[in-house]
Amino acid sequence: MAESSSNQPPLVRMSGITKRFGQITVLRDVQFECHAREVHVLAGENGAGKSTLIKILAGIHTDFEGRLEIDGREVHPRNPLQACALGVAVIHQELSLIGAMSVADNIFLGRTAARAGFVKAVEQQKAAREWVAQLGLDIDVRQAVENFPAAIQQLIEIAKALSQNARVIVMDEPTSALNAPEAAKLFALIQSLKARSCAIVYITHKMEEIERIADRITVLRDGQWIGSAPAAELPAPKLIQWMVGRELGEQFPRRVPHRGEERLRLENFSVFPSGLSGRPSVDQISLSARAGEVVGIGGLQGSGASELFLGLFGAYGSHTSGVVQMDGRPSRFSSPRKAIASGVALLTNDRKATGLVLSMSVTANATLAGLRELSPCGWRNPARERAVAQQITAPMRLRAPSLDAEAGTLSGGNQQKVALSKSLQTRPRLLLLDEPTRGIDVGAKREIYQLVDEWTAQGIAILLITSEMPELLTLSDRVIVLHRGRITAELSRSQATPEAVLAAAMGQVTERL
Amino acid sequence: MNDTSPARPPPAWKTFLGSAGGRALLALVLVMAAGAVFNADGAFFKIGTHRDTLRQASVYGMLACGMTLVIISGGIDLAVGSVVALAAVCAAKMAIHWNWPAWEVVPVSLVIGAGCGTVAGFITAAWRVQPFIATLAMMVFARGLAKYASGGMKVSTAVQNADGTYRYVNVPGLFRAIDHRILGGNLSMVTVIFIICLVLAWLALSRHRWGRYLYAIGGNEEAARLSGVPVIGAKACAYAASGLFAAVAGLCQAAQEQQGDPEAGAGYELVAIAMVVIGGTSLMGGRGGIGLTLLGVLTIGYLDKILSINAVPEAGRLVLTGIIIVAAVMTQRRNRK
Amino acid sequence: MRKQSIQILSVGFALLAALLAGCNRSNSNAPQAKAALHYTIGMSQCNLGEPWRVQMNEDIRTAAAQHPELNVIFKDAQNDTLKQRSHIEELVSAKVDLIIISPKEAQPLTEPVARAMDAGIPVIVLDRALLGDKYTCFIGADNKKIGKAAGEWIVKKLGGKGRVVELMGLMTSIPGQDRHNGFREGIAGSGIEVIFEADMKWLEPEARKEMESALSRFDRLDLVYAHNDPGAHGAYLAAKAAGRENIIFVGIDALPQEGVAYVQQGILDATFRYPTGGAEAIDTAVKILKGESVPRKVVLGTRMFDKSNVADGGAAMP
Repeated sequence: MAESSSNQPPLVRMSGITKRFGQITVLRDVQFECHAREVHVLAGENGAGKSTLIKILAGIHTDFEGRLEIDGREVHPRNPLQACALGVAVIHQELSLIGAMSVADNIFLGRTAARAGFVKAVEQQKAAREWVAQLGLDIDVRQAVENFPAAIQQLIEIAKALSQNARVIVMDEPTSALNAPEAAKLFALIQSLKARSCAIVYITHKMEEIERIADRITVLRDGQWIGSAPAAELPAPKLIQWMVGRELGEQFPRRVPHRGEERLRLENFSVFPSGLSGRPSVDQISLSARAGEVVGIGGLQGSGASELFLGLFGAYGSHTSGVVQMDGRPSRFSSPRKAIASGVALLTNDRKATGLVLSMSVTANATLAGLRELSPCGWRNPARERAVAQQITAPMRLRAPSLDAEAGTLSGGNQQKVALSKSLQTRPRLLLLDEPTRGIDVGAKREIYQLVDEWTAQGIAILLITSEMPELLTLSDRVIVLHRGRITAELSRSQATPEAVLAAAMGQVTERL
Repeated sequence: MNDTSPARPPPAWKTFLGSAGGRALLALVLVMAAGAVFNADGAFFKIGTHRDTLRQASVYGMLACGMTLVIISGGIDLAVGSVVALAAVCAAKMAIHWNWPAWEVVPVSLVIGAGCGTVAGFITAAWRVQPFIATLAMMVFARGLAKYASGGMKVSTAVQNADGTYRYVNVPGLFRAIDHRILGGNLSMVTVIFIICLVLAWLALSRHRWGRYLYAIGGNEEAARLSGVPVIGAKACAYAASGLFAAVAGLCQAAQEQQGDPEAGAGYELVAIAMVVIGGTSLMGGRGGIGLTLLGVLTIGYLDKILSINAVPEAGRLVLTGIIIVAAVMTQRRNRK
Repeated sequence: MRKQSIQILSVGFALLAALLAGCNRSNSNAPQAKAALHYTIGMSQCNLGEPWRVQMNEDIRTAAAQHPELNVIFKDAQNDTLKQRSHIEELVSAKVDLIIISPKEAQPLTEPVARAMDAGIPVIVLDRALLGDKYTCFIGADNKKIGKAAGEWIVKKLGGKGRVVELMGLMTSIPGQDRHNGFREGIAGSGIEVIFEADMKWLEPEARKEMESALSRFDRLDLVYAHNDPGAHGAYLAAKAAGRENIIFVGIDALPQEGVAYVQQGILDATFRYPTGGAEAIDTAVKILKGESVPRKVVLGTRMFDKSNVADGGAAMP
C-alpha cells in the first residue's frame, strides 16, 4: 500500500478515552492515533465502539474522559461546528444531508455565504459545482438532494467534507450504497486526499476493502482497544481473530442445499412503481424458486432487484402485471397485508426508513407484522408478545438493554437483527431478504448465514439481494442477475464466479441455464 | 456486551423525572401547589371546588381522549369543536323538541359524530389530504350543519308554536341524568362519563392491536405499511373515534346547558390539543398515551380553576396560561436525549 | 391520482353550486307575483351568527310584512367587513329605494354609505354608529342606560344593600364596558357590594364555571347580574346544581325565546331588553319613503321583564 509517515507526530491522537451512557460503558480507555497521508482503518464488530469513538472526535459527544489532541494540541470541541473548525469532517453511515434542500445549500449548510443575511446563491452554487466536479460529478447543484440516488448523495457528502477543508476525514461505511465502479472511484479519491496530506479514518466491514486501501488498522472489541498495526502485518485471518477474539477457521461455512417442491413461480412479471402507464422497473421477468432454496439476485444500482421484491410483496399495490404463483396458487398480491397473510416476508434494505418503527420497543417491532395472529379478537397479549419476541430474537444474539428498549437506541447492526426477527416472526414460506447483513459485523454475519441454513432446512424459499459478492456466492444455490429490470444471466453454483456475475450485472447477456 | 461497569445507575427518581410522565406530573404538582398557596380564602381546599374543576374539564377531556388517538397516529383533528356543536344541536332537537327516548337520542348522536370523523378520516387517509386541511374543512362543514339544523338559534326548552308564541317543555330525563351529581353531591356525572372515555381510550391504545397500529403509523408510516398494518383503515378509525368522543362531549354540553347551541365548542379543539401536548404526547406522532393526557387535562383544568377562584382579570389569565403552556412544553422537549 | 382529484373537485363544485342556489333562494324575499310592490329596501346585516341579529332580521321581516308595498332584500356579510362593503355597493348599483345597515365596524363602512347617500339612496344605520353624519338616521340602544336601569332595579329589589356577583361580557367590547359602567353607575351610593366579578366572554359554559368559583368562595350571595341572558342561565344552572336556590338572577338581551322565556320559566328574575331596532327601522323607512322628515338619531328605550309583567310584554323603561 502507500507509504505512511508514521515517523511524524500524529495528526490525531486520542488517549485514555472512556465514555459511558448511563450504566453502560461503551468505551474503556481507548487509544487511537492517526497520521497525515494515512488511511487508517478502524475495525471491529458491531457495538465495538467505533461509531462512538468517531462521534467523540467529531464533537458530537462532548462528555467523555480522556484526551483529544489534534496536531499536538489538546482540544475540546463543544459541538460539531467546532470540530469542523479544527479540521475534522465525518461522513456518517446514515447520510446527514437534508433531502429537500439543494446540493449547493447542503454543501454550505452552517457556513452559508451571506451578505447581511441574504444568501449569496450564485456564489454558493459556483463553489459547490467546483467541489463536486473534483469528485468527477457533473450534476445540477440547484436540484434537491433527494432527487439523486444514494451513491451520488454519498459523493455529495464527501464534497461537503472537502469543502470544509478538512484534514481529518472520517468515513463510516462509505461504500454501503455504492456499486463496484463507484467504490473504485472513491478509493482513487482517497488516494488523492492522502496526497493532500489528509488523514483518512475508514470504518468498514468489508475485508476486500481493508486489504485494498488500509495503511494501518486499529481494532476495537467490546469498547476496548485491542491493537494497532500496519496493514501488512495484519492479514485477514489474524485481523478477524483480533476482531472476534477467537480463531475463525473458515470464514464462511459452505451451504448445504435443501431443494424441495417449487414454491414460487414468476412468468412475465413486471413492476410499475409509478403507475401502470409509467416505466417498469422490472420488465417481464420469469423465474422460479423451490422450497429450501436460496436464489441470489445479483445486480448493480438500478437493476430493479429491490423493486422486484417490493412488487412481489404487494407494496406497489396493483401496479404489477404477469403471473405469480406460490405453491401452485395464483398469488399476485395487492397489499403487504395480503402478502404476509399468504406467507411472504420482506426484509427491506433501509431499516430506518422502511424497516423499523424506531420509536417503538424491540418487542413491538418484532411482533408488528404478525400482530393479527397474536391478537385474537383484536386484544393484545403483552406476555405472549414478549415471549414471542424473546424466542425470535434469541437465535440472532441480539444485544439490547432489554426487549422493551426503544429500537432507535440500538446500534445499527442490532437494529438490523430486530428487522430480521420481524420478518421471521410470521413464519413465512417465502422470504425476501434485501441486504440482510448491512451494517452487521463479521461474527454476526456468520450467525446469520447459519440461520439461513436453518431456515432453508425448514423449507423456506429465500430470495436474496446482497451487494457483497462473497456473501452472494456463498449463500446462493443459484444466482439470477438483473440489469435494468431484465434477467441477463442465470448461473448455477459452479457457474457463478465474481467475474460472471459482474459482467451480467453490467449488461452482458449470457445464455440461460 | 453491555458490561456491568462500576458506574452507578442514576437514582430512580431521576429516571422517572426524565420521562414524559414524570415531567407532566411535575407540572401538575406545581399547579396544585400554586393553588394551595393562592387558595382564595380556603376555597381551593373545598371538595366542591375539586368537583367543579373536574366537571368543567370533563368536556375538554373527552375531546382530548380522541385527540390523543389521532395525534399518536401522526395527525390532528381540528373539527372536534364543531362536532360538539353539531351533536349538541342534534341531541337537543331529538330529546327536547321531538321527545325521543334516551336510547334513541344517544346512539344517533354518536353516529353523527362518528360519521363526521369517518368522513374526515377517509379524506385524509385514503385521499392523502393533510389532516390539518381535511379536519379544517370538516370543522367549517360541521359548524355549518349545526347552524342549519338549529336554524341559527339555540335549541332550547322554549319551543315556538306555529302562531309565534312559545311553550315550555320539560328538560329531558337524559339531560337531567347527565347533569347531576352523585356520591353525596361530590362528583359530577359528566366526570364519570369522562373517566369512562379515558378507560375506553386507554384500553384501545394499550391493549388492542389497533392501538399498536396507531403507534406504528405515527412512528413510521411506511415501515408500518410494509409490515402489513392496515394504514388507511386504522387512521380513518382514529378520526372516527375522535368524532365519537366529540359527540359524547356534545351530549354532555347540551345536558349542561339544557339546550343545543350551534355556537358551542368554538375553540375547544385548541384546548384539547394543548391538554394532549402538555401531557407529553408528541405532536410528531408515535409517542404518548392516555395517562399522559389525563395529566395534561388535570393541569390545565386546575390552572383554569385557580385563576377563576382568585378572580384574576382576563388579560392576566391569558398571559399566565400562555406562559405555563410554553414552559410545560419546553420541559417536555428537554428530556428527549 | 388525477382521476381522484377530478372527482373531488366536481363533488366540491356541485356542493358549492347547490349551496349558492339555496342561498339565493332564501335571500330573495317575497315572490314577485304581487304587482303592488312599490319600494325595495336593501338590508345589510354584518353577521347572522348571533341570535340577536337573527332576531333583528326577524323583527324587520315581521314589521315589513305589515306593509305589503315593501320588498326587503337581506344580505349577510358573514362578519366580513369587505363583504359588507361590496354588499352596499351592489345595493347601490341595483338602485334600491332605501338601505338599512347594521355595520360590523364604523370606519370601513362610512365611505360606502356616504356614496349611497350621494346616489340619492337614504340609509338607516342600526345598532352600531358610523363616523360623521352622512346617513339619514341612526337607530340604536344605549347599553349604558340599560346597565344603569338594571343597577337601579337591583338596588330597589335588594332594598338598598346586598352582595352581588357581576358576570361580565367580553370586556374588550363596547357593549361589555357599557353594561358594566352603567351598572356601576346605577348602584353607586347604595349598600350594594360587588363581591366577585369575572369576564365570562358572553358564553354560558364560562359563566357557569365562574359562578361555581363564586359559590365555592362565598357562602352568602344575594344576586347575580350577568351582562347577557346565556350568562345568567349558566349561573342559574350552577347555583341549582349546588342547591343554592335563593339567589336572584338578572340578565340582559331579553330575546323572546331566550331571556323572556327564562323569566316565564322562573329561571331569571328579571331581564332587560336590548332592542334590535328592527321594527323601528321599518317604521322610519316608511316615513322616509313617504317623504316625511325623521330625527337624525333615535335612541331606543329598554323594556324590563319580570315575573309580574312578562305576560304583558314587559314594562317600558325611560
